[in-house]
Amino acid sequence: MKNNNLSEQLKKIIIEELNLEDIEASGINDDDPLFGDEGLGLDSLDAVELVVLIQKHFGVEIKDMEEGKVALASISSLVDFINNHKKD
Amino acid sequence: MTEKIPQSSENWSSRSVGANWQHRFFYFLIRLGGRRIAYPFLYPVVLYYLIFRPDQRLKSRYYLDRRFPGHTGFAALKDSYRMIISLSQSLVDRALVGICGPEILKTEFPRGDELFNLAAAGRGLIILTTHVGCWQAAMIYLSKLKRPVHMLMQQDEGDIDRHYFEHKGEKNPFHIIDPTGFLGGTVEMVAALKKGDVVCIMGDRLKGAQENSLAVDFLGAPVKFPLAAWKLAAVTGAPLAILFPLKTGPDSYRIDLAEIIELDRKDARPLQRLKPYLIRYVQTLEKLCAKEPYQFFNFYDMWEQNLE
Repeated sequence: MKNNNLSEQLKKIIIEELNLEDIEASGINDDDPLFGDEGLGLDSLDAVELVVLIQKHFGVEIKDMEEGKVALASISSLVDFINNHKKD
Repeated sequence: MTEKIPQSSENWSSRSVGANWQHRFFYFLIRLGGRRIAYPFLYPVVLYYLIFRPDQRLKSRYYLDRRFPGHTGFAALKDSYRMIISLSQSLVDRALVGICGPEILKTEFPRGDELFNLAAAGRGLIILTTHVGCWQAAMIYLSKLKRPVHMLMQQDEGDIDRHYFEHKGEKNPFHIIDPTGFLGGTVEMVAALKKGDVVCIMGDRLKGAQENSLAVDFLGAPVKFPLAAWKLAAVTGAPLAILFPLKTGPDSYRIDLAEIIELDRKDARPLQRLKPYLIRYVQTLEKLCAKEPYQFFNFYDMWEQNLE
């Protein structure tokens, strides 16, 4: 349940802050790729904002490329990353 | 009418046109007698490329035809010669610094303190670089900044041109971020800036996604310039410094801190909001090309990009 909330929150942040038009949270599957032609279709400039947004909203930092590759694969990988790195 | 050869930024390569033995020959000359011995050998080599390698000469024409639209025939040939000589000298200087040490070049940095203070402030700093002059002269200063320096830099496989630190087998003082890596290296660059580090990015050559660029008039016609540096500055709040390392004499350079630009978070989106800043950079570059026409080294057709 907690993960579902986080997933919905993330989708909302991505749609609002990255100004994604014609996309609704319900239309994003948790396992869809965030970047590239398939899935959400974000690009490298969106990544700049996304990394900063994750830090701003959840207080977790994506510190390098290796972490980024894993964390930014999909909504569910971002949820896992935030859960694993968040300081309670 | 200039003969055209297809040459976009996408198929541009950092690989040198010279063979490995030619590079070694020049390294040998530098070890033997420094710049004074190496420079005279450049003239016949450049002349050879100018006469017998028209493909190489034509690469210089994309920029020179825009910079000197009235020059044809011998005047155009002379422009190409001067530009290629200038590039060759900067390559010799690069090796010279590596082999003989940085003190071999007299490098002035009139606004150096400003850059050092910006870096030391720990807000992160983006240094916007351009294919101008000799970067090795500036790199020595950058290695003295009191923060780690990351460089977005592509080195193609088989590139035999050595960086200055490679001549003495020294460790690279900078962390290299590969622009062909995951998301163009953006995640690494954000992480570096958030730590307060320095990130150097070339501002004049578009590699990768065309949509991450904006077209701005440069020397009379639109050219697509990359936006990563500007987006990073807007999102992270790091100041952006435009730096040009220019050759001022046979053994002297001056590093010009042309502008320091601060962007606001609201400038990050839509991308069109970045355009006024990009125009400031391009206008600064145009002024430089007006003053130092043979020190801008882009040997591909910047103007022939898909502008749709």
